[in-house]
Amino acid sequence: MDQSTPTPLGDLVRRAQRGDERAQHDLIVGYQHRVAGFVFAITGRSDAVEDLAQSVFIKMIRALDRLQAPEQFESWLFRLARNTCIDYLRRQKLRRIFLPLAAEYENVPEPPGAVDAEELDALRHALDQLRPQDRALLALVQEGRSHAEIAAILGTSIAAVKARLHRAREQLRQHYQPNHEN
Amino acid sequence: MRVNSFANITNQTMKTEDSSWRRLYEHAASQVAPGFADRVLRAARARATPLFLREFAFCAATAALCLVAVALYHTTSSGDENARNLAGWNEIASQSDDLEQTL
Repeated sequence: MDQSTPTPLGDLVRRAQRGDERAQHDLIVGYQHRVAGFVFAITGRSDAVEDLAQSVFIKMIRALDRLQAPEQFESWLFRLARNTCIDYLRRQKLRRIFLPLAAEYENVPEPPGAVDAEELDALRHALDQLRPQDRALLALVQEGRSHAEIAAILGTSIAAVKARLHRAREQLRQHYQPNHEN
Repeated sequence: MRVNSFANITNQTMKTEDSSWRRLYEHAASQVAPGFADRVLRAARARATPLFLREFAFCAATAALCLVAVALYHTTSSGDENARNLAGWNEIASQSDDLEQTL
Protein backbone atom coordinates (compact mmCIF):
# COMPACT_ATOMS: atom_id res chain seq x y z
CA MET A 1 0.00 0.00 0.00
CA ASP A 2 1.19 3.49 -0.77
CA GLN A 3 2.01 4.96 2.60
CA SER A 4 1.81 8.55 1.40
CA THR A 5 -1.83 8.29 0.26
CA PRO A 6 -4.19 9.12 3.11
CA THR A 7 -6.98 6.56 3.57
CA PRO A 8 -10.04 6.63 5.85
CA LEU A 9 -8.38 3.91 7.94
CA GLY A 10 -5.15 5.90 8.08
CA ASP A 11 -7.04 8.98 9.27
CA LEU A 12 -8.88 6.96 11.89
CA VAL A 13 -5.60 5.48 13.15
CA ARG A 14 -3.96 8.90 13.27
CA ARG A 15 -6.87 10.24 15.33
CA ALA A 16 -6.62 7.25 17.64
CA GLN A 17 -2.87 7.88 17.96
CA ARG A 18 -3.62 11.43 19.11
CA GLY A 19 -5.71 9.93 21.93
CA ASP A 20 -9.17 10.41 20.37
CA GLU A 21 -11.26 7.87 22.29
CA ARG A 22 -14.04 7.87 19.71
CA ALA A 23 -11.51 6.80 17.07
CA GLN A 24 -10.06 4.14 19.39
CA HIS A 25 -13.59 2.87 20.03
CA ASP A 26 -14.32 2.74 16.29
CA LEU A 27 -11.10 0.83 15.64
CA ILE A 28 -12.01 -1.76 18.27
CA VAL A 29 -15.56 -2.12 16.97
CA GLY A 30 -14.27 -2.41 13.40
CA TYR A 31 -11.81 -5.17 14.17
CA GLN A 32 -13.20 -7.00 17.22
CA HIS A 33 -14.83 -9.83 15.27
CA ARG A 34 -11.87 -10.33 12.94
CA VAL A 35 -9.44 -10.40 15.85
CA ALA A 36 -11.75 -12.79 17.74
CA GLY A 37 -11.81 -15.14 14.73
CA PHE A 38 -8.07 -14.90 14.36
CA VAL A 39 -7.55 -15.67 18.06
CA PHE A 40 -9.94 -18.63 17.92
CA ALA A 41 -8.24 -20.05 14.82
CA ILE A 42 -4.89 -20.06 16.65
CA THR A 43 -5.93 -21.09 20.16
CA GLY A 44 -9.00 -23.21 19.42
CA ARG A 45 -10.51 -22.16 22.75
CA SER A 46 -13.85 -20.35 22.81
CA ASP A 47 -13.39 -19.43 26.48
CA ALA A 48 -10.12 -17.62 25.75
CA VAL A 49 -11.38 -15.60 22.80
CA GLU A 50 -12.74 -12.56 24.61
CA ASP A 51 -9.89 -12.29 27.14
CA LEU A 52 -7.23 -12.60 24.46
CA ALA A 53 -9.01 -10.19 22.12
CA GLN A 54 -9.19 -7.73 25.02
CA SER A 55 -5.44 -8.12 25.65
CA VAL A 56 -4.75 -7.51 21.97
CA PHE A 57 -6.77 -4.28 21.92
CA ILE A 58 -5.32 -3.01 25.19
CA LYS A 59 -1.84 -3.58 23.76
CA MET A 60 -2.99 -1.85 20.59
CA ILE A 61 -4.14 1.26 22.48
CA ARG A 62 -0.98 1.41 24.54
CA ALA A 63 1.39 0.92 21.61
CA LEU A 64 -0.53 2.85 18.95
CA ASP A 65 1.65 5.96 19.23
CA ARG A 66 4.67 3.86 18.26
CA LEU A 67 3.10 2.79 14.95
CA GLN A 68 5.10 4.66 12.31
CA ALA A 69 2.89 3.99 9.27
CA PRO A 70 -0.84 4.25 10.09
CA GLU A 71 -1.68 2.78 6.66
CA GLN A 72 -0.06 -0.47 7.78
CA PHE A 73 -2.30 -0.66 10.83
CA GLU A 74 -3.94 -3.98 9.88
CA SER A 75 -0.66 -5.86 9.47
CA TRP A 76 0.58 -4.35 12.72
CA LEU A 77 -2.62 -5.29 14.59
CA PHE A 78 -2.54 -8.89 13.39
CA ARG A 79 1.15 -9.18 14.29
CA LEU A 80 0.17 -8.02 17.78
CA ALA A 81 -2.67 -10.57 17.85
CA ARG A 82 -0.43 -13.37 16.61
CA ASN A 83 2.26 -12.66 19.20
CA THR A 84 -0.36 -12.45 21.97
CA CYS A 85 -1.79 -15.85 21.00
CA ILE A 86 1.62 -17.51 20.69
CA ASP A 87 2.61 -16.13 24.12
CA TYR A 88 -0.67 -17.41 25.58
CA LEU A 89 -0.08 -20.91 24.16
CA ARG A 90 3.51 -20.89 25.49
CA ARG A 91 2.29 -19.90 28.94
CA GLN A 92 -0.34 -22.65 28.82
CA LYS A 93 2.34 -25.17 27.87
CA LEU A 94 4.53 -24.06 30.79
CA ARG A 95 1.57 -24.23 33.16
CA ARG A 96 0.93 -27.79 32.04
CA ILE A 97 4.57 -28.65 32.80
CA PHE A 98 4.79 -26.94 36.18
CA LEU A 99 1.19 -27.42 37.31
CA PRO A 100 0.26 -30.84 35.94
CA LEU A 101 -2.81 -31.07 38.15
CA ALA A 102 -4.16 -27.74 36.97
CA ALA A 103 -4.14 -29.01 33.41
CA GLU A 104 -7.01 -31.36 34.26
CA TYR A 105 -9.18 -28.39 35.05
CA GLU A 106 -7.90 -26.18 32.24
CA ASN A 107 -8.45 -28.66 29.44
CA VAL A 108 -12.15 -28.94 30.06
CA PRO A 109 -13.77 -29.70 26.70
CA GLU A 110 -15.95 -27.08 25.07
CA PRO A 111 -19.46 -27.22 26.56
CA PRO A 112 -22.00 -29.10 24.42
CA GLY A 113 -23.60 -26.86 21.86
CA ALA A 114 -20.79 -24.32 22.02
CA VAL A 115 -19.44 -25.52 18.70
CA ASP A 116 -22.26 -27.47 17.16
CA ALA A 117 -21.48 -27.44 13.45
CA GLU A 118 -19.88 -30.64 12.22
CA GLU A 119 -17.78 -28.91 9.57
CA LEU A 120 -16.55 -26.36 12.09
CA ASP A 121 -15.52 -29.15 14.44
CA ALA A 122 -13.68 -30.81 11.56
CA LEU A 123 -11.75 -27.62 10.88
CA ARG A 124 -11.00 -27.10 14.57
CA HIS A 125 -9.74 -30.66 14.83
CA ALA A 126 -7.58 -30.24 11.73
CA LEU A 127 -6.17 -26.92 12.97
CA ASP A 128 -5.42 -28.54 16.30
CA GLN A 129 -3.03 -30.94 14.57
CA LEU A 130 -0.93 -28.06 13.24
CA ARG A 131 1.78 -26.07 15.02
CA PRO A 132 0.48 -22.75 16.45
CA GLN A 133 2.79 -20.87 14.05
CA ASP A 134 1.21 -22.66 11.08
CA ARG A 135 -2.29 -21.99 12.41
CA ALA A 136 -1.35 -18.31 12.67
CA LEU A 137 -0.07 -18.42 9.12
CA LEU A 138 -3.32 -19.87 7.78
CA ALA A 139 -5.35 -17.41 9.84
CA LEU A 140 -3.33 -14.52 8.41
CA VAL A 141 -4.14 -15.77 4.91
CA GLN A 142 -7.83 -15.99 5.85
CA GLU A 143 -7.52 -12.39 7.02
CA GLY A 144 -6.54 -11.46 3.48
CA ARG A 145 -2.93 -10.59 4.26
CA SER A 146 -0.65 -10.76 1.22
CA HIS A 147 2.48 -12.92 1.18
CA ALA A 148 4.59 -9.77 1.47
CA GLU A 149 2.62 -8.58 4.51
CA ILE A 150 2.86 -12.01 6.15
CA ALA A 151 6.60 -12.05 5.48
CA ALA A 152 6.87 -8.63 7.18
CA ILE A 153 4.74 -9.80 10.12
CA LEU A 154 6.79 -12.96 10.63
CA GLY A 155 10.12 -11.31 9.82
CA THR A 156 10.94 -13.78 7.07
CA SER A 157 11.17 -13.92 3.27
CA ILE A 158 8.24 -14.21 0.86
CA ALA A 159 9.66 -17.48 -0.46
CA ALA A 160 9.76 -18.91 3.06
CA VAL A 161 6.16 -17.80 3.64
CA LYS A 162 5.04 -19.51 0.42
CA ALA A 163 6.82 -22.73 1.35
CA ARG A 164 5.45 -22.77 4.89
CA LEU A 165 1.99 -21.92 3.65
CA HIS A 166 2.05 -24.73 1.11
CA ARG A 167 3.11 -27.18 3.81
CA ALA A 168 0.52 -25.91 6.30
CA ARG A 169 -2.28 -26.14 3.73
CA GLU A 170 -1.28 -29.67 2.84
CA GLN A 171 -1.28 -30.68 6.49
CA LEU A 172 -4.63 -29.02 7.09
CA ARG A 173 -6.13 -30.79 4.12
CA GLN A 174 -4.73 -34.15 5.27
CA HIS A 175 -6.35 -33.79 8.67
CA TYR A 176 -9.47 -32.05 7.48
CA GLN A 177 -10.72 -34.36 4.72
CA PRO A 178 -11.01 -37.68 6.57
CA ASN A 179 -12.88 -36.08 9.43
CA HIS A 180 -15.28 -34.36 7.12
CA GLU A 181 -15.92 -37.49 5.06
CA ASN A 182 -16.67 -39.39 8.23
CA MET B 1 -11.24 -37.36 -16.75
CA ARG B 2 -9.43 -38.50 -13.68
CA VAL B 3 -7.77 -35.09 -13.39
CA ASN B 4 -11.19 -33.44 -13.64
CA SER B 5 -12.69 -35.55 -10.91
CA PHE B 6 -9.65 -34.86 -8.73
CA ALA B 7 -10.11 -31.14 -9.44
CA ASN B 8 -13.80 -31.42 -8.54
CA ILE B 9 -12.99 -33.13 -5.29
CA THR B 10 -10.31 -30.55 -4.50
CA ASN B 11 -12.62 -27.66 -5.36
CA GLN B 12 -15.38 -29.20 -3.27
CA THR B 13 -12.97 -29.59 -0.35
CA MET B 14 -11.79 -26.01 -0.69
CA LYS B 15 -15.38 -24.73 -0.77
CA THR B 16 -16.22 -26.75 2.36
CA GLU B 17 -13.03 -25.50 3.97
CA ASP B 18 -13.93 -21.90 3.15
CA SER B 19 -17.39 -22.30 4.61
CA SER B 20 -15.82 -23.91 7.72
CA TRP B 21 -13.51 -20.93 8.09
CA ARG B 22 -16.53 -18.65 7.80
CA ARG B 23 -18.34 -20.61 10.51
CA LEU B 24 -15.23 -20.54 12.67
CA TYR B 25 -15.10 -16.73 12.43
CA GLU B 26 -18.85 -16.48 13.08
CA HIS B 27 -18.52 -18.69 16.15
CA ALA B 28 -15.60 -16.63 17.45
CA ALA B 29 -17.49 -13.38 16.83
CA SER B 30 -20.39 -14.73 18.89
CA GLN B 31 -18.01 -15.11 21.86
CA VAL B 32 -17.48 -11.36 22.02
CA ALA B 33 -20.15 -9.94 24.31
CA PRO B 34 -21.87 -6.62 23.55
CA GLY B 35 -20.09 -3.57 24.94
CA PHE B 36 -16.69 -5.12 24.28
CA ALA B 37 -15.11 -1.89 22.99
CA ASP B 38 -16.25 0.07 26.05
CA ARG B 39 -14.86 -2.61 28.36
CA VAL B 40 -11.52 -2.58 26.53
CA LEU B 41 -11.26 1.20 26.72
CA ARG B 42 -12.14 1.15 30.44
CA ALA B 43 -9.55 -1.57 31.09
CA ALA B 44 -6.92 0.29 29.05
CA ARG B 45 -7.58 3.50 31.00
CA ALA B 46 -7.52 1.63 34.31
CA ARG B 47 -4.23 -0.03 33.46
CA ALA B 48 -2.48 2.90 31.79
CA THR B 49 -2.01 5.36 34.65
CA PRO B 50 -2.03 3.14 37.67
CA LEU B 51 0.57 0.75 36.30
CA PHE B 52 3.25 3.37 36.99
CA LEU B 53 1.55 4.42 40.21
CA ARG B 54 1.16 0.82 41.38
CA GLU B 55 4.82 0.09 40.69
CA PHE B 56 5.87 3.29 42.43
CA ALA B 57 3.64 2.54 45.43
CA PHE B 58 5.01 -0.99 45.64
CA CYS B 59 8.63 0.27 45.56
CA ALA B 60 7.86 2.96 48.14
CA ALA B 61 6.15 0.46 50.45
CA THR B 62 9.10 -1.97 50.13
CA ALA B 63 11.60 0.80 50.88
CA ALA B 64 9.55 1.97 53.88
CA LEU B 65 9.36 -1.58 55.24
CA CYS B 66 13.13 -1.97 54.88
CA LEU B 67 13.73 1.35 56.67
CA VAL B 68 11.42 0.37 59.52
CA ALA B 69 13.13 -3.02 59.82
CA VAL B 70 16.61 -1.41 59.88
CA ALA B 71 15.49 1.20 62.43
CA LEU B 72 13.93 -1.47 64.66
CA TYR B 73 17.04 -3.64 64.47
CA HIS B 74 19.28 -0.65 65.17
CA THR B 75 17.20 0.43 68.20
CA THR B 76 17.10 -3.07 69.67
CA SER B 77 20.75 -3.88 69.07
CA SER B 78 22.04 -0.48 70.30
CA GLY B 79 19.81 -0.74 73.43
CA ASP B 80 21.26 -4.18 74.22
CA GLU B 81 24.79 -2.92 73.64
CA ASN B 82 24.24 0.11 75.89
CA ALA B 83 22.91 -2.14 78.63
CA ARG B 84 25.93 -4.44 78.27
CA ASN B 85 28.36 -1.47 78.36
CA LEU B 86 26.61 0.01 81.39
CA ALA B 87 26.81 -3.31 83.20
CA GLY B 88 30.52 -3.48 82.32
CA TRP B 89 31.14 0.03 83.63
CA ASN B 90 29.20 -0.75 86.85
CA GLU B 91 31.36 -3.83 87.37
CA ILE B 92 34.55 -1.85 86.79
CA ALA B 93 33.31 0.90 89.15
CA SER B 94 32.47 -1.61 91.92
CA GLN B 95 35.84 -3.35 91.43
CA SER B 96 37.67 -0.01 91.68
CA ASP B 97 35.64 0.85 94.83
CA ASP B 98 36.62 -2.53 96.33
CA LEU B 99 40.26 -1.89 95.41
CA GLU B 100 40.17 1.60 96.97
CA GLN B 101 38.74 0.18 100.22
CA THR B 102 41.36 -2.56 100.28
CA LEU B 103 44.17 -0.02 99.87
